[in-house]
Formats: sequence, structure tokens, C-alpha cells
Amino acid sequence: MGDIPVVFPIRPEWESKESSSRIPFSVYTDDQVYKRELERLFYHGHWCYVGLEAEIPESGDFKRTVIGERSVIMVRGADGAVNVVENVCAHRGMQFCRERHGNKKEFVCPYHQWNYKLNGDLQGVPFRRGVKQDGKVQGGMPKEFKPEEHGLTKLKVATRGGVVFASFDHDVEPLEDYLGPTILNYFDRLFNGRKLKILGYNRQRIPGNWKLMQENIKDPYHPGLLHTWFVTYGLWRADNKSQLVMDELHRHAAMISTRGTGGAKSDVTAGVTSFKEGMEIQDKRLLDIVPEEWWGGPTAVMMTVFPSVIFQQQVNSVSTRHIQPDGHGSFDFVWTHFGFEDDTEEMTQRRLIQANLFGPAGFVSADDGEVIELSQYGFEQKPFHRAVAELGGYEVENTDHMVTESLIRGMYEYWRKVMED
Amino acid sequence: MANNWTDVSALDDVPDEDVMGVQTAGKDLALYSVDGQVYVTDNLCTHGNARLCDGFLDGFEIECPLHQGKFDIRNGHPMCEPVTEAVRTYPVKIEDGRVFVDLG
Repeated sequence: MGDIPVVFPIRPEWESKESSSRIPFSVYTDDQVYKRELERLFYHGHWCYVGLEAEIPESGDFKRTVIGERSVIMVRGADGAVNVVENVCAHRGMQFCRERHGNKKEFVCPYHQWNYKLNGDLQGVPFRRGVKQDGKVQGGMPKEFKPEEHGLTKLKVATRGGVVFASFDHDVEPLEDYLGPTILNYFDRLFNGRKLKILGYNRQRIPGNWKLMQENIKDPYHPGLLHTWFVTYGLWRADNKSQLVMDELHRHAAMISTRGTGGAKSDVTAGVTSFKEGMEIQDKRLLDIVPEEWWGGPTAVMMTVFPSVIFQQQVNSVSTRHIQPDGHGSFDFVWTHFGFEDDTEEMTQRRLIQANLFGPAGFVSADDGEVIELSQYGFEQKPFHRAVAELGGYEVENTDHMVTESLIRGMYEYWRKVMED
Repeated sequence: MANNWTDVSALDDVPDEDVMGVQTAGKDLALYSVDGQVYVTDNLCTHGNARLCDGFLDGFEIECPLHQGKFDIRNGHPMCEPVTEAVRTYPVKIEDGRVFVDLG
């Protein structure tokens, strides 16, 4: 064997007990680790994003989505409350709901027409009392069959500011405690009680581990380097006033920045890749800033709420980005672009135009999907190796600059706490 | 609306404290007999695709065999979910041992 290490380690080996700065590649490639993540991060003890209330304004409106890999339905019940139920029939386990959105009075599994209320209660079972034939009743469910024991799995639901979270774990802490005061502050800044208006969706499948998307938005090192588009047009500048903050457990984070007032041609961008003087954007709405009152200063706040969602404000473009893992090496990434009910038509157009930076083919975000894919290739071929996330040192701390990978170290510090026995 | 009394069955054929189906004059009807009194409703459930004559009569309530929705056979009122829409009922009279239904 010589100096060649064992290529496929049995479990992720961290180099340091104290620091999570060196991340074993196998946390991205190991199926058992992945199953454990679903169990511990998505199905127990955590709140996961499911959607926006504005997606289901009327009673009976529903949206099919997922928590981890489990298909669920977010539906507004007859009483107006938001329910989330698992999309698996209590009878023979079929995923009965296939439409992405719609309106229903009740859920019916097509296989044997078991019939559920919008809150998941079983209300009808065909031929439960049997079938009458020649004066006799044949078959049917046993007398002791109790419909109330055979409803759909009901999830715990929390809504705040029009955002809906759900959890399979009914003992999960209140959403506000889960987010913690620091992140809650930025959450409430964006979702401050105004009604939201859905502008549209992007969907993409990214062939990489789901955590890479969380890391991408916890990584302020890359935007000025990878996203040449940002730099070319002066959107990401080294002199941006900025701040990185986390919750107490370091699982959630916010990257806050305020675009510098210096001209786009000032010296700070000179050292950073391709600032092309001759290039100009025709539609200035892509780039210029129309400040909104609710910003309270920052021109961009990117929130990572572990494990399932990113809340984005990039200037006038606001969206949620839902991470939907599908195996250790793939996830679906669903963007919901929205605005607010009091937006002028001009502002709505502006938000839509700025949304061109994002999504699978976005001027900026297309880069992220690609580097995540290529990172996954690297991990798969060399699972015994590890990443080095040591920009800014080994510690986990809030900072007032962007030249650090502190947020990634913070996430893995938490990850190790939950994932290691 | 003019009366349209139609002979649909012999009285003796309607089972006591039970239900039977009759197809006549383009109608699919359910006939019930409770305490010697005959009641008639449409046979098709207002919810799923099922016939009430295949269901179960309990007092004045007919339970659909498909999803256990219930109707009051005296006035057609829906009694429990998933049925929310009344089933049509018809006036009945008995003459010379025959059941007549006013189909309207």
C-alpha cells in the first residue's frame, strides 16, 4: 500500500477534535452519513421550510413539497389554518398527491379511494362495512378498525411573517427559539408582516451534496472571485461594509452587506479579477439600487436557516431558496421569487429583472450550481481527503468583515455536535 | 311543477328497515322502508361514484358504502363528511300495494 491512504474510509475522520476547519470529504459522499443527516437534521429536532402562506391563500389551496426526502403537502384547511401532512396514504403507502399546486376539498388516494380531510383525518374507507351480495354482507374492514388511528401523518406547523415551517418532530422547540434572537431580527426585517406576492419559481437539480448549498451562502470568500459578473459591474466590492452573524449554536447565519458609496471605478476593485471598464449593462435596473424603507441600511442580507432554506435579499430581489436533498450527491433547489402587496408595478418589474441574477441560469447563481457539481466530483474521487476552511483562522466567531470562512466552521461545529455520538 | 307520479315498485318488494335500488323512467332511485313508511332518494351519492342502495341503513340514515358519508333519507340532508351536498328526495304515495314516486 505504501503511502497511498485508504481511499474509502469507514467513517469521516476529522483531523482536530476542537476545530471543524478541516472537513472530511466523506461527509459529502457517505450514504450512511447522509441517512443519519436525514434522521437527525431533517426529521428530528429541526424546523424545515415548506413554503409561503401567499402560495395557498384560499381554503383548500395546497402545494406539494418535501422535508428532507419525505413528500409533504402544505394545505390551507377549511378553518383557514395551514396544515402540513405527509403525502403517503395510510392504507398501502402510496404517494397519492401528484400535482405541484391546486385546490381540493379533500384528499383521495386514487388506488383504493381512501379519503382524507384537509387536516389529514381519515374520513372514508370504501367498502369498510363490506359489500351486500345475495342478502349477505361480504368482507369489509374488521369491526374494531378505527379511522382515527389511520390518518395521514400530521406535522407540527409554525408560521411567521407569512413563512411556513414544519417538523415531523412535535417536541421541537418553538420556531422563534429555533432561529434565536439574532437571526430572528433579520428574519423579521424581511418578513415584517406585509402580505407577500408570489412572482414565480425557478427549479434546478444540482448534482452535489445538499450541505454545499448552505456552505455557498456561508462563504463570503467566493463571490468576488468566482462571480466575475458581480465584480465586472461593481456589485461586490471589497469596501462593502459587512457583517457576519450566527445564532448561538452557529447553525444559522446572516451575511449582511451595504454597498459602498465609492464609484464603481475606485481602487478597491482593481485587484480583484476582471473589472472590465468597457462593459456596460443596458438595462440599469439590473444593477442600480432603489432603497426600500424596510432595509434599514443593508443592501444585501443572505440568511442561511439550517438545514433547509436560504432567505435572500440582494438589493431589490427577494426570494426563498429551498434545499431538497435527494441522495448524498444531489439536491433539488427551488427558488420562490416574491414581492410585497404594496409594491408598485415598477417595483415588481424591478424585482423580476433583478431575479435574472439568480436561479439555474442566473448571471451569478449559474456559477454556484457548477462549482458545487465540480466539488462533488472532487470529493467522490478522493473521499479520504479533507477541505481546508481556514480563511480567517480556526475559530467560529461573528465578524465585521467578509474575509473569513467562520460561518462554514460554525455550521460544522454544530453538525458534529448533532451527528457524532 | 306538474306532478309526475310514476309506479316504481311493488310495496312488498321494498325490504323492511333496508334499502333497494330501482332504475325506472331514466332515474336511478333508492327505496327505503322504515317503520312501514317508504322513502325515496336519488341512488347516486353526491360525493363519490357509489350507489346508496349498496350502503347501510341505520334508522333514517343511509351510509354510503364508499366513504361512509351519511344522508337523512327523510329530507336528503348530509349528516357527516365527506358528504356536504344533499341528495334529492322524492314525494311517495302508496296505492293498491304499489309505490308511486313523483318524479316532478
